[in-house]
Amino acid sequence: MKVVDGLTLSAGHRGLLRPGEFLEVAPHELHRLPRFFYEIESWQHAKETQLTPHFTLSELITVDCREADLLLHGFPHYVPCAVTVLARYLEDFRERVDAPVCVAVNGGYRSPAHRLTEKPSPHIWATAANIYRIGDTWLDSQKAIERYARIAESLGPDIYVRPYGPAPGETDDHLHVDLGYLLCTPRGYSEAQ
Amino acid sequence: MDEQALHDGIDRLCAGSGSTAVGVHVFDFETERTFSHLGDRWFHAASTMKVAVLVALFHASNTRRVGLEDRLHVRNRFRSIADRSIFRVQRDRDADAAVHRRVGRSMKLIELAEPMITRSSNLATNLLLEFLTPDFVQSTLHVAKVDGVRVVRGVEDNVAFERGMNNTTTAAGLVGLFRLLRDDDLFPEPVRRQMLDILFAQEFNSMIPSLLPDSAQVAHKTGEISTCTHDAGLVLLPGRRPYAVAILTEHPPGLDDPQKTVAKVSRMVYEFITA
Repeated sequence: MKVVDGLTLSAGHRGLLRPGEFLEVAPHELHRLPRFFYEIESWQHAKETQLTPHFTLSELITVDCREADLLLHGFPHYVPCAVTVLARYLEDFRERVDAPVCVAVNGGYRSPAHRLTEKPSPHIWATAANIYRIGDTWLDSQKAIERYARIAESLGPDIYVRPYGPAPGETDDHLHVDLGYLLCTPRGYSEAQ
Repeated sequence: MDEQALHDGIDRLCAGSGSTAVGVHVFDFETERTFSHLGDRWFHAASTMKVAVLVALFHASNTRRVGLEDRLHVRNRFRSIADRSIFRVQRDRDADAAVHRRVGRSMKLIELAEPMITRSSNLATNLLLEFLTPDFVQSTLHVAKVDGVRVVRGVEDNVAFERGMNNTTTAAGLVGLFRLLRDDDLFPEPVRRQMLDILFAQEFNSMIPSLLPDSAQVAHKTGEISTCTHDAGLVLLPGRRPYAVAILTEHPPGLDDPQKTVAKVSRMVYEFITA
């Protein structure tokens, strides 16, 4: 996959993706937004890009019409480079649960301009996944969510799973796993402005 | 049948059926005649409000705010307008299971609009209404000059129901909505045709169409809760322009076969129109 420095993108894309900008994700908690992206030429390209044996790129970038128009309908698409790390963790998770893991629409990467991004989350960094179903099990009960949360957490201390519940920061109809605000800089690219 | 006979017939049916109120409004495109029997009385709208959501969706599409082919994430989790608590549409109480099977995935807006009308999918309705917002639906009705339909919330918001925060309608309001499907005030002909095709595909046909001749075609939407049984639509008869009719009934819970009352009123309206 071709890597691009977000600072070299068109003004329209920069305005929506805001590469390298600081974003306040919580009071007094600032993080830089991703700057380096994979360039996706077409939807076919995304479907054919196998990040791991069981996850294609397309599965981790599917969004609905609440995404900004330019990013939804226009190609190329730009996806933060950390998406490959997320895919590797999801592959490990799939191996542990030994069943297909279905990442929801809007449940992988979504841009800072997506209408569901009113409250910033690691989805903007392409390091989070919302999982609605594992095998034949719908993750819409406390029992199912907590069972798979324990398995996800066992993958390592770098995995965060939102607790079960209806409040902000909790989930009650899917499993949210994320790796925090991980930034990936591919070899050969400078982080100097 | 003359107008007074129709009023008398509706009153007799209302009394004999155990209904507490029957509201009827008719507009005949052939003669431009209007008939109203408690046509301005407000009722709980039940699922007839889905016609307003359909009209708002096509208005959003027609004004290029959205595309009907745009995809929306299917998620069964909504917030009550009463206290922001979370509620879900019960799968076993929803007349349509197909949308529930798509949870976690996405569907095109038009793919949600169809089951919202034809099988009265509550999940599809709530998804579309959450996306469009009740304010947009209401502003569409305002632009269309449709009074008598108030959409404030989605379906199965039981906390709001208990607090009396309901979608409401009058028979005249619903007829106003269906007139939009014939008049060219808001929508061009191809758009009206597309909405009518969805309403013609209605699968619940035990009320307005059931006692009409086989030659009648009805584009309509039913609505039922424990205390209300409604149907509203556009009736097309061979050799004449259609008429729009809304029949709204209110009754005690558990009333036996309230749909029959609506069907009988529909038959009387047909006889009045074709007399």
